[in-house]
Amino acid sequence: MNINTTLIASMDISFPSELGYEIIVRDAVESFAHRHGFAPERLEDLRTSLCEACINAIEHGNQCVAHMRVDVRCQYDRKQFQIEIQDQGIRPFSPPERPYSIAEKLAGVGTLRGMGLQIIAHLTDESGFLENDERGNCFRMVFYCDLDRTSRY
Amino acid sequence: MLEDELTVNTRQREGVAIIDLIGDVTTFAEEKINTAYQEVTNQGSRLVLLNFRQNDYINSAGIAILIGIVTEVNRNSQKLAVSGLSQHFQKIFRMVGLAQYADIYQDEDEAIQGFKSITTT
Repeated sequence: MNINTTLIASMDISFPSELGYEIIVRDAVESFAHRHGFAPERLEDLRTSLCEACINAIEHGNQCVAHMRVDVRCQYDRKQFQIEIQDQGIRPFSPPERPYSIAEKLAGVGTLRGMGLQIIAHLTDESGFLENDERGNCFRMVFYCDLDRTSRY
Repeated sequence: MLEDELTVNTRQREGVAIIDLIGDVTTFAEEKINTAYQEVTNQGSRLVLLNFRQNDYINSAGIAILIGIVTEVNRNSQKLAVSGLSQHFQKIFRMVGLAQYADIYQDEDEAIQGFKSITTT
């Protein structure tokens, strides 16, 4: 995990690799973000992208093995909210050649799934897997702050 | 695995088969949604409305189920529309391309009017 020298607040959550827990994490992180002045009009983006990242960790990184953990770290430093989602990496992330369009999916080319990263990329300001993480896959996403709005501290 | 949070109902209104999706649309919704779609299709419905209500959570697995419905709608020469989505989920539906295959309406009444305008032209 990155060390941020201007960190204002942080929160760590660990949960088992069971679908549905991403909702619990989402609600906790939303509360954390709201408390620290996260732009209300982007809360839905945060909620959706966080759930997608957690599902990826559960289904792909940890292959739905319930006792494998997913760790979520949220950090706020006035300029941005950063969330890292760490799995235990039973299956290392391997980037797809390209995302399939809906027309291709309807034509039976490629899986109907596989839209999570595409959705996250649209809803966040930065996102991607961190390289060379020995503990598994670590996905990082960032939301930039509106400095005027987040001047509560 | 945590509890499924979706209720699915089907009904008819002015020649439109309405599938109410009340709650979360996730991977757990697949059987309920597909069963409801099959039911209205077996009744001979040509116009199908997915009417979303109280949808706090729609994820990519849920969207994949809906893309599967679009596949069947195309195969069965039906017309599909969706209504009741929040602005956020309307944005997501447009983002993934679903809006190319299903008209998006604010609510059920608007969707019914939309179907009428299509069928009378």
